Parts: sequence; structure tokens; C-alpha cells
Amino acid sequence: MVDVPLNILIADDNKSDRLILAAIVKKMGHKVCVAEDGVQAVAQYHSEKPDIILLDVMMPNMNGQEAALKIKSSAGEDMVPIIFLTSLQDATDLAKCLDSGGDDFLTKPYNKIILQAKINAFSRMSKMHYTLQQQRDLISDHNEHMVHEQEVAKAVYDNVTHAGCLNLPNIKHMLSPFSVFNGDVLLAARKPSGSMHILLGDFTGHGLPAAIGAMPLAEIFYGMTAKGFLMDDILREINSKLKKILPIGYFCCVCMVNLSFRKQQIEVWMGGLPDFYLLRHDTGQVEKLASTHLPLGVLSSQGFDSKTQRFSLRRNDRLFMWSDGIIESRNDQGDLFGETRLMDIFNGNQDQDHLFDDIVNTVNGFTGESGKDDDTTLLEVKMVPEADVGEVDIDMSRGMITGPTDWNMRYTLRGDTLKTFNPLPVMLGILSDVPALHGLSGQLYTLMAELFSNAFEHGVLGLSSDLKKDAKGFAEYYAQRELAMKSMGDGQVMFEFDHQPTKAGGLLTLTVTDSGDGFDYVGKQANQFSEAGYSGRGIPLIVSICDSLEYLGQGNIVKVTLSWSAKGLEE
Amino acid sequence: MARLNMSQIDELKDLMEEAFADLVETYISDCEEKITRLRDAIEASDAPLSAEISHSLKGSSANICAEDLSELFKAIEDQARQDTLSQIPQPFSDVQDEYQRVKGALQNLL
Repeated sequence: MVDVPLNILIADDNKSDRLILAAIVKKMGHKVCVAEDGVQAVAQYHSEKPDIILLDVMMPNMNGQEAALKIKSSAGEDMVPIIFLTSLQDATDLAKCLDSGGDDFLTKPYNKIILQAKINAFSRMSKMHYTLQQQRDLISDHNEHMVHEQEVAKAVYDNVTHAGCLNLPNIKHMLSPFSVFNGDVLLAARKPSGSMHILLGDFTGHGLPAAIGAMPLAEIFYGMTAKGFLMDDILREINSKLKKILPIGYFCCVCMVNLSFRKQQIEVWMGGLPDFYLLRHDTGQVEKLASTHLPLGVLSSQGFDSKTQRFSLRRNDRLFMWSDGIIESRNDQGDLFGETRLMDIFNGNQDQDHLFDDIVNTVNGFTGESGKDDDTTLLEVKMVPEADVGEVDIDMSRGMITGPTDWNMRYTLRGDTLKTFNPLPVMLGILSDVPALHGLSGQLYTLMAELFSNAFEHGVLGLSSDLKKDAKGFAEYYAQRELAMKSMGDGQVMFEFDHQPTKAGGLLTLTVTDSGDGFDYVGKQANQFSEAGYSGRGIPLIVSICDSLEYLGQGNIVKVTLSWSAKGLEE
Repeated sequence: MARLNMSQIDELKDLMEEAFADLVETYISDCEEKITRLRDAIEASDAPLSAEISHSLKGSSANICAEDLSELFKAIEDQARQDTLSQIPQPFSDVQDEYQRVKGALQNLL
């Protein structure tokens, strides 16, 4: 007797033959259902769902071969073994039985032992087929579940990594992930000063393991940029975070750019990425920017070098950045796209506005149907007037009127701290506790940055602002700045903040005192410092932000006031 | 060849147990009906029908271990399939005689 009885259909028009077959099958412990012709056999197949069918070839109404075809076509992917019963001897006739969907045949006179062996064999095969189907469905369910989980995770991931300003009119970008998750990351955010931080990263590998590192990277990038931190601080923070969390051998090739619309310059830090191209609008010439650092997440904080390269960018100059997925994409012959083909696109270009699309189309045309094997990312950033990208969008969701309104604070930076530390995020943080000032943090950041740089560079270091008139002078200025920093002895810059409530809202007074020699401001003050030479100190910009500006002492003290009105904010 | 293959029929009896009598009865009534129809079909020179009936009788006779009888039906089926009913080697009465002997032998076993 068998462990699990099967349901076996016997279809034979000959009653005595049916009796013998039924006796054999029942002896084995299986259940039997019978049919007298092909039509009944098909009907019984649908109603009794037999596990195995014994089907006579020659039957009235519908012969066995026709019945087999019908049964096999309704069975679909379920396995229903059919054993033909035949007294046919001719090899072609027997082969025809198998061609019409039969799995085996049994010749008359029936042999009990052979039939039992065949039923056992097909029973094993059916069981295996069923197990296979179950496991396939299980795998398919698991896969569906996993894809669903990945999609949910992807939504979270996108919320974190795509919070930036990639939609600004001076940016074109293409992110083309190899799988659901992208190991390439592209971030852009406005700084409180109005400048823009851009970061293109390519993590080792692709898919989820590569993408997961992008979450902390994006958090740090957006959080610190909004608070006014400089590239230097942000890169250090990201590097030490990635070093801490990524497994050995995993890292992130990164290019970070600080794009200043006002100064018309970019500051670039590149580690591990292929050369980027800077396209000059006027001449159509291409300048290459090469990586000068190791990727992020490799070096310890002590070994990390945040030195940047500066380039001046005129209006409509463009910076092209990409992950290695572009250069290393392959066609169906396995050839690399390569840098020569990329350079050819630039050389052959007639219209700079179409260059981005040309690159995308050429790369896609090259890879064709061969499919990609890495994440590919392409970015174009154009230098435009700041007005084209609009005001910095500051989160005003916090309350308006509450918070500290009556307070005074002094913050003095001395010696090495003055040289190396950026005090702006800390000071902006304190000012932002006054909700109305939080909404003005863009202007406040610019204001403090200009005042601090005047106090430190022109005051403490004694550099002349005249130098910064042209591009050549710019380089000279930075060279002198390096020298002056090295030889600088004692020196200090003191910020004094005073905030008082007024009827309408509040009044902020900021006094910045430096230890330098000052300058001859009398007379210049009357005409609002509009003469040439003072623009280098950003004074027109400062005046445009605050209500009043006043130099005191020998010119080493500057005092600005800025008032705000609750009514104005509510509107 | 034998009228009844005795070793096979013993196995069949073991298999069928008490249903063996029922099997014999079923076989006999089936044969009598079909042999009559076969004779009519041959007389009417209906080759396809003759082939169908003799094929069925060949199979059921083989299963009941009546080897000689099965061979006789096979000879008829072969001729019917070639549409040469007139060339059947034995007269039909030989088939009927052999059937009667098988029937007797089977009934003796009950």
C-alpha cells in the first residue's frame, strides 16, 4: 500500500479491461474513477482532478489521442501524466501516442508489475513537479515582497537624497541607476549666502549596498549647507562619517563644488572621479579638472586633506560632471565608450545648449541594446546671474514672534582659531533662535561673512581690497592671503551682538572690532562708500541688507543695525 | 500459444479475488455481443467497423489470457485494416468454435 493514495482515472471502452485495471490500481491502494470513452474521460478529468490517467487509444466518440490533447491543454503548467493503454504494436503508432501528449504507454495484455512500476514512477515525478511549483511560487512571493520592501525603502531614500535644488534652471542632470537603488548620488543645495553646493558621489558597487551610504552623506550635506558651513567642514564631516560606517574596501568617489554666483567662481574638491570638463562659453575651449584627492571614506580625519581648487567662471561657462559609468559604458562588442569619444562630442558641438543632450544620446546610442552594467550620472551646471536661480528658500515653519528678543553677546576669535575656524554657523545658529531672524538667515549669513572677511583679511591681515579687481589680481590676492596667514602673530576679531525688542518687532545691532590698523573712512562714509576701491569690501552689498552702517574708531570698528517688524513678517 | 495461459490466469485470479467471477461474466457477455456484431460487419464487408470490433476483442481476449482467440481476432483486424476481408485465413465459424472452448474453460475455473 502507498503512503498517499492517488486518484487514478481509467478510460477504456472495454468493460472487462476496466475491471482488470481497476483491480490492479486498487490493490496498490489508490482511488479509481472510470470513463468509457474519450468524451467521458475529458469530463472526468475536470470533475475528478485525477493525478494520473490511464487512457485507451481506440475508443468510440472521442479517441484517446484527441482526449489527451484536450486534457493536456487545459492542464496548463500542472503535471497530469497520461499513460496510453494499447494493443498497438507498430512503432510509429506508439510514437504517435507520445506525440499527442502521452507520457508513456502500456501494452495489452496488462502486466501488473509493469503498471505498478509506471504508476510509482509518475507519482514520484508528479510530487517533484508539485514541489518545484510550490518552491517557484514561494520564490516569486519572496521576490515580490522584497521588491515591495525595496520600493518603500526607495521612497524614504529619495526623500532624504532628493531634498535639494537640482530643479534650478542652471542645472541639467541625468541619473540612470543600474538597479532600483542608485550607487551614484547627486546633491545640490543653496547656502544661506545664496551660493550653491553641489556634490556628485559614486559609491563602490551599485544597488542597495552602494546606495545606503548615500543617506548619511545627504543628511550631512543638506544639514550643514543650510546651516552655513563651508565645503571644508562638510567634506571633513562626510569623510569621517563614511570612514566610520563603510566596510573596508568601500568608499565614495566625490566631487564637491561651491558655486558662488556673486563672485563668479567655483571652488572644487575632487577625489577619485574621472576628469571633469569646464566649457568656456566665449571660446568653446574645454579645460579639464582632475581629481587631486583620494575618495571619501578612505583616509582618517588626521590624514584628510580638504584643499580645494578655485576657478573663475564667467556667465554661461559650464561645468560638466559625471560618474565613471559614462566613460566605462560598453557597446555590444564589449568596447569601452572612453574619454576620446566623450571629447569628440565636445569638439563636434555646434550649440552649447544641446551639448548635454548630445552626450546622453551618444552614450545611449553607443550602448544600444547591450544594456548597462553600472549606474550612470551626468550633470551640467551653468554660471548664471543669481537672479536667475532666485532667493534662497528658508524654512519658515517655526513660530514668528516668540523666542529671545532682549539679549547681548560677545564672541571673540583669536590666534590660530581666527585662521582656521569658521564662526559663521555658530553665530547664525544663535541668531536663528530669534524666529524672525531665522527667516532672514540668508541675508544675515552674507552680512556676517562680508564683515568677518573684511575684519580678518583687510583688518587683521592688512590686505588691500584693490587687488580683487580682475582675475589675475584674484590669484595674487589669495597668494598674499596665504603668506599673511603664515606670518600673522596675535590678532583678534570680536563680534558683539545686541538684540532689543521694539514696538514693531526687534532691532539687531552688530559691532565687529578687529585688531588691525583700521583705514581712513571719514569722507567716504558720506557718499555711502560708492567710490571705486570700496566695492572690494562688499560694502554696497552690506548696505543693501542692513538699515545703517557706521565705521568707528580708526576704521577698525564697524557697526551695523538691522530692524525687523512682526507685522511685515506676518504678511 | 495456448487456449488459456494457465500461469497468467492464476495471477489474474489472485489479482481479482472474488471479482474474478464477475470479470468472466463481463467478458463473456461482452464477447457474445461483439462477436455477433463482428460477424454482421464482415458479412456487410464493413472493413472499418470490423477492424474496430476485432481490435477490441483482441485486447480483451489477451487480457483474459485467451491467447489463441486473441490471435484469431488479430488476423481479422489485420485483414480489415488492409481492406482485404475476403482473405481472412480461417472461416468465421473457427473463431466462434474457439470462443466457445474459451468460454467453457473459463467457466470451469469458477
